[in-house]
Amino acid sequence: MLAVSLSTTQAKPINVPVVYYKLPNGLKVVISEDHLAPVVTVGVYYNVGFRVEPKGRTGFAHLFEHMMFQGSANVKKFEHAKYVEANGGSLNGHTDFDYTNYFETLPSNRVEMGLWLESDRMRSLDISEENLKNQQNVVSEEIRVNVLNQPYQFFEWIDLWENSFTNWNNAHNGYGDLAEVNAATIDDVRNFFKTYYAPNNAVLTVVGDVDVDDVKKMVAKHFAGIPAQPVPPRPDLTEPPQTKEKRVSQTDKLANLPALATGYHIPAQNSPDFPAMALLVQILQGDDSSRWYQRLVKEKELSLDLTGGLNYFGNEFDYNGPMIMTTRTTYKPGHTADEILAQMDAVIADVAAKGVTEKELADAKVRYRSNFYSQLESSFGKTHLLSSLALFRDDPSQINSLLTPFQDVTAAQVKTAAAKYLLATNRTVIVRVPEAKPAPKTGE
Amino acid sequence: MVLGLWTWVFVLLAVEITHPKSDKTKGVRPESKGPDLRNLKGIYMKPLLSIGALVLLLSTAIAQQKTPPPPGAARPLNLPKLTEKKLSNGLTVVLAPLPNVPKVTAILTFRSATNATDRAKHPGIAQIAATVANEGTDTRTSKQIKEELRSIGGSLSLASDADSTNMSATALSEFSTRLFDLMSDVTQHPAFPENELKLAQDNTIQQIRAGRADPNFLVNERFQKAIFGNHPYSFVVPDEKSISALTRTDLRGFVATYYIPNTSHLIVVGDIDPDKTFAEIEKAFGSWKSGSVPAEENPPVPVRDKRQIYFVNRPGSIQSGIYIGNVSIPRKDNDYFAIRTANTIYGGSFYSRLTRNIREAKGYTYSPFSSSNTQLKTGSFVAGAFVRNEVTGPTLLEILYELDRMRVLPVTDEELNAAKEYSTGNFSVELASQSGLAGRIATIYTYDLSKDFITDFRPKIQGLTAADIQRVAAKYFDTYHAAVVIVGDWDKVKDQVTPFGDVTMYDAEGNVITK
Repeated sequence: MLAVSLSTTQAKPINVPVVYYKLPNGLKVVISEDHLAPVVTVGVYYNVGFRVEPKGRTGFAHLFEHMMFQGSANVKKFEHAKYVEANGGSLNGHTDFDYTNYFETLPSNRVEMGLWLESDRMRSLDISEENLKNQQNVVSEEIRVNVLNQPYQFFEWIDLWENSFTNWNNAHNGYGDLAEVNAATIDDVRNFFKTYYAPNNAVLTVVGDVDVDDVKKMVAKHFAGIPAQPVPPRPDLTEPPQTKEKRVSQTDKLANLPALATGYHIPAQNSPDFPAMALLVQILQGDDSSRWYQRLVKEKELSLDLTGGLNYFGNEFDYNGPMIMTTRTTYKPGHTADEILAQMDAVIADVAAKGVTEKELADAKVRYRSNFYSQLESSFGKTHLLSSLALFRDDPSQINSLLTPFQDVTAAQVKTAAAKYLLATNRTVIVRVPEAKPAPKTGE
Repeated sequence: MVLGLWTWVFVLLAVEITHPKSDKTKGVRPESKGPDLRNLKGIYMKPLLSIGALVLLLSTAIAQQKTPPPPGAARPLNLPKLTEKKLSNGLTVVLAPLPNVPKVTAILTFRSATNATDRAKHPGIAQIAATVANEGTDTRTSKQIKEELRSIGGSLSLASDADSTNMSATALSEFSTRLFDLMSDVTQHPAFPENELKLAQDNTIQQIRAGRADPNFLVNERFQKAIFGNHPYSFVVPDEKSISALTRTDLRGFVATYYIPNTSHLIVVGDIDPDKTFAEIEKAFGSWKSGSVPAEENPPVPVRDKRQIYFVNRPGSIQSGIYIGNVSIPRKDNDYFAIRTANTIYGGSFYSRLTRNIREAKGYTYSPFSSSNTQLKTGSFVAGAFVRNEVTGPTLLEILYELDRMRVLPVTDEELNAAKEYSTGNFSVELASQSGLAGRIATIYTYDLSKDFITDFRPKIQGLTAADIQRVAAKYFDTYHAAVVIVGDWDKVKDQVTPFGDVTMYDAEGNVITK
């Protein structure tokens, strides 16, 4: 039975074509042809995320991301969106722990439009006081709609990071305190642009139905003249090892049900333990077959849901600093956080003592491989991975061998990872319960 | 040496670019080419190019193009090739190879709505059936299903919406046979084990309670009820008593009636060989017994004789969540493309009128939107935003103003052309993903559209005129009979809201309450 179920089929080799080079100004350029559909994604990834924003300016990296749509020398305020959409595309930007990205997916014959737009704002961002004020209002509403006016208020990110980490760069609220978002000045914007938004601090990635040689010429035409800047200082992101469990209790004015979140510090990406840790996360909470889901939601019927992952916002490759494995669960009234934690701990103890079965690990690898393919499915998905690898490893061609260390993990390594990292002393727990209020009426 | 040159050019440009309007920059340019070049616009490249390599480098560096580059030659659309076949039991099968990754994506649609015929007797039965169907079959436990999915790198979930129940499933293509076996088992032999049903009932009740803390849930629920009244499309979630009353027998009866092949369609997209895949499907689904779905009769949607405000009170809310809209058309209606495009121009794209107004000009909100939701029997159009309490009234005014502007004035050629490009370009992106293509094909069958929908899409959009847009806006962006739904703190915003119409107030549980 076991032998039959083991998934021994050979995976198709991943073969993403990758052309990688640097312009003399230091801009990293990645081009990957894919002619299946007439689309292209142009992405620019800057090596700056909210970890490095200035003290007293929480949320600034994200506010700045908004400013990048407010005009440059030849593209007026918000016209970036007009040009992209009127050319059949879509666009967005995103601020993360360690990068900020800007991207547009376009019909592939409009690739030069995307390159021109990105080059214009990399070269010549042009911000007025009025536009800054406008986007401070917009970002304030973003924080209200996604955090402050919501039950739970994103506690499994904002509060969990604030409590899990001691180094301010890692710990502070990346969405930002409203007062600090609104205190930002135009000089802050200009300085941040000059420091971080330089070609030598960025990756330009083009993926899709294009010709590499054509794109190279366009890239040279639009980006080669953008001046390099002094390399920005790399902040100290080191985090002292945690030696004692942290527990935080919170009440929630808006939520109707209790919830809890845990964060465990995980090994660095270049640690030999890292691939095993990633598979362990898959086995504990990767899907509905996972051990924690089965225990909490199905067997003990304590929880309604279970979410989280090795990197709550992204994947194993798109961050560049200390990280926690996040787990969040909403549980049923009448139960306690201790009951939940006892079950989670029992699962960990079992893995740490007995390990995982060969079938469980083999299946987790299949799941892992399948999820990885999904990231390669769209031109944006490939853009994201290639850009991350260029930005943080200076080697986007790793995309084709990225799976190997994860497919080589042994059951013994998974067991070791559980015993070594999933210790109560290495975690932070936040319990968030509804503020006492009149019992809700039921039914309609 | 080259490095030196580049560095020099960079310094030159750094000054120029950082302070483009400063007089000082003109003085520091040793070649005095900067200002002149800028004035020469497009023509300066030629003389410079003839001077040689060094100047070529310089010109490349300086050439900050002032105007957007023109598009290149149009690329082939590579529209997917669809194969439609039928099994002998009547199941419609549509196959489309899209080998972008070695995976396969399937959608199996049953003609059983959330709100179908049984709703009077068993509200929510389609929803609970969809939740529990993959929690155990006659031969597999819930856990075995989840473990089988993990071992094929797959997923399988069911969800019921206004017109149908959709089973969405994926797997690595190397395991497609096992995926079809599992889909077939869940379709034909769901066991609805007592313990799984009980758990799903309890959890659904709790999840709905949790949802009532979320303003997005509340505003959507009230909007559906306001515009669809007694029509089954008003259904969002069942009440707790109805959930608890459902039995295993009810669910087995429901599934036996509605999960039948001759009214269902199975769409499979991905790294497949159509002939081989069809043979696998035939093997897995061939024994599925056909049947008949009872006819439905639905009450009409309500007609408002004036604009009406439906206010869901959420004390302590620091924002007002606003939805404004009305009933529109079924997907099959000829006006589908015109409304879709009107929506793009109004609030359905980033560079839309609503976003430019209340976000980029006024800073009232982060995510204004509008949406055209067309379904089998009818549809809706909605515009909305979440805004801080202080600008609730001004936002209502601007949303209504922009709707009226669409009704009384034609859109510009520039706006119309941009919206056409936006729709057709993004359509290509949608069709390039397995889930996007499968979902799009599924709508053709669910909404009984032309089989040529995908190839017709571009010409239908391109053929629209400004008069078409104005005509549908006048008809469906009707501000005078609109439902205005607001979720917020009544005490904080009532003075801003009452000028816009009569108010009916609700609590989070949906009870009408007095102001």
